[in-house]
Amino acid sequence: MKNTSYKFPKGINENIVKKISHIKNEPLWMTSFRLKAYKIFKNKKNPKWGPDLSHINFNNICYYLKSTESIYNSWEKLPKKIKETYKKLKIPEAEKNFLGGVNAQYESEAVYERVNKDLQKKGIIFYDIDTALKKYPMLFKKYFATLVQIDDNKYSALNSCVWSGGTFLYVPKNVNVELPLQAYFRINSEKFGQFERTLIIADEGSRVHYIEGCTAPIYSSISLHAAVVEIFALKNSQVKYTTIQNWSNNIYNLVTKRAIAYENGKVEWVDCNIGSRVTMKYPCVVLKGDNSKGQVLSLAYAGSNQHHDAGAKIFHIGKNTKSRVISKSVSKKGGRTSFRGLITIEKGAKDSLSYVSCNALIMDEKSRSDTYPKVVIKEKESTSQHEATVEKLGEKKLFYMTSRGIKKETAESLLVNSFIEPVTREIPIEYSVELYRLVNLEMTGAVG
Amino acid sequence: MKKFIYIYKNKSNKKFVFNKKGDYVVFLNNSTGIYDFVINCENINLNIYGIYMGRKNEKFKITTNQIHKKSNSHSNLFIKGVFTDKSQFNFNGLIRIEKNANKSVAYQKNQNLNFSSDCLIESKPDLEILTDDVFCTHALTTSNFNKKSLYYLNSRTLDQEKSEKLLVKGFTYEIVNRVKNNIDKKTIKNINSQIEKFLL
Repeated sequence: MKNTSYKFPKGINENIVKKISHIKNEPLWMTSFRLKAYKIFKNKKNPKWGPDLSHINFNNICYYLKSTESIYNSWEKLPKKIKETYKKLKIPEAEKNFLGGVNAQYESEAVYERVNKDLQKKGIIFYDIDTALKKYPMLFKKYFATLVQIDDNKYSALNSCVWSGGTFLYVPKNVNVELPLQAYFRINSEKFGQFERTLIIADEGSRVHYIEGCTAPIYSSISLHAAVVEIFALKNSQVKYTTIQNWSNNIYNLVTKRAIAYENGKVEWVDCNIGSRVTMKYPCVVLKGDNSKGQVLSLAYAGSNQHHDAGAKIFHIGKNTKSRVISKSVSKKGGRTSFRGLITIEKGAKDSLSYVSCNALIMDEKSRSDTYPKVVIKEKESTSQHEATVEKLGEKKLFYMTSRGIKKETAESLLVNSFIEPVTREIPIEYSVELYRLVNLEMTGAVG
Repeated sequence: MKKFIYIYKNKSNKKFVFNKKGDYVVFLNNSTGIYDFVINCENINLNIYGIYMGRKNEKFKITTNQIHKKSNSHSNLFIKGVFTDKSQFNFNGLIRIEKNANKSVAYQKNQNLNFSSDCLIESKPDLEILTDDVFCTHALTTSNFNKKSLYYLNSRTLDQEKSEKLLVKGFTYEIVNRVKNNIDKKTIKNINSQIEKFLL
């Protein structure tokens, strides 16, 4: 993996897939897994619903790229808009370079190293996924691609054949990880991949919170991000997965996220989408065990030329399972947000309860907001509720605030921030502060 | 004067275009098909009500499209369903507010009672909003009886069968009460007999 002498040509074919597997020195089963995925990818078509994906040119993408191989190898060469945003968000210089894909250099490496040692003492396996495949092949093979099968959709198939980078996390029985884990803690490995693969296994009685992404815009020259995330929450365990995504505006962000909760297990997805050109992401929870719980909180902010098609999927299979979906979306300057949800209560899922609430704000008449929920009930002793509203910012509230001497832009961003507050209060404070700043920036063009 | 349209056990697709301002009421009873409601004029107040009762192998597949093309109009859809045995209910509702239909208000509500685990109830209430100055909501609930209400009725000496019937009646009468001024006694009688038959 550390071999940098390979320069990958653009495009995808069987040889490229084999080459990726070869560079990473993977076992044979993984190579054949990738090749099988490639065949499926070639035959699968884009989904007929949702945003237009026909502009993606699969032959114009380089499928294996080390993060340090970024095209922008110096700060000066980064696009101006991205640089300005970093400045306005007050992001430290070192992080700026890293986020801009310039170079990964941390002054605080020592701190992260200590964190890593603490984790190891507890028996937590926290590696980038390529290392995990080499070090823990049995554990890896037992779970890998069992929840998101290769043929799930075109982009999970693409990810399966060219995946690189991502996180592997195993939390042993009855271990409570107090600190939210982030990819930052893994030193000297790829943090953001285009085709990353994340695998989280929370063993019985354990508890963990994982955070990916950051509020600062991440620039990438490749216009496609297709990731796969699989979470296994075994008996009595709790997993929370927070995503804060702010890709630059040229990126198609197509992510397959799925979690399974066994008996008494609990899975929470917190999903904040701000950047990208097109986002398609439907975090899914399969409530397999009795008394399991699932929650999806999502937030989408679409500016001009952006389309966020996000939502949630919940399958109630076990008895007394509960789920809650809360979605907030804001569309502005011609942006479009869509909520797409699926709730299924299977036969035998007695006493299960599902609650879905979507609220959308439209800021101007060029923008658009859609809601496409689907609810399928096959069990009589169950309750499902769904509600959705679409509206614009309250004129009376705006009038009140402006009459108290608050500028209109400030009043608008205050109202938007309070609108998304039910989601932002679920994420760690430093992120929600950054998110608050970011919304202000998007609304008014200035921070503070 | 309200214009009233009653559609009973219809199976074909229908398209209604509203070109004149005023109040309109559409009442769907056990009808399937695709129903388009195109609001092509300002100051229209359209109410769409529905009662569905499914028994045995009955299947209902209904699609409603509330399309607002002009501003300042209201549309309100409220459909209630009760299902038992192996009946199936598939509801696809769409509210679409076109680009220049500002100040539109649109509601969509679907509530279902489910009496059997062999039923299949699918609801897909969609919203497509292409402009900003609107207020649109939809709501959807599917559940069995509230156990507390049943317990209460039981404790007032009503046996299980009677209590259930009473609750079904109460549930459907929320719709009946809204349209009873427009429909004749024969239709109300018909709905009552549907309720009576339902829990046999």
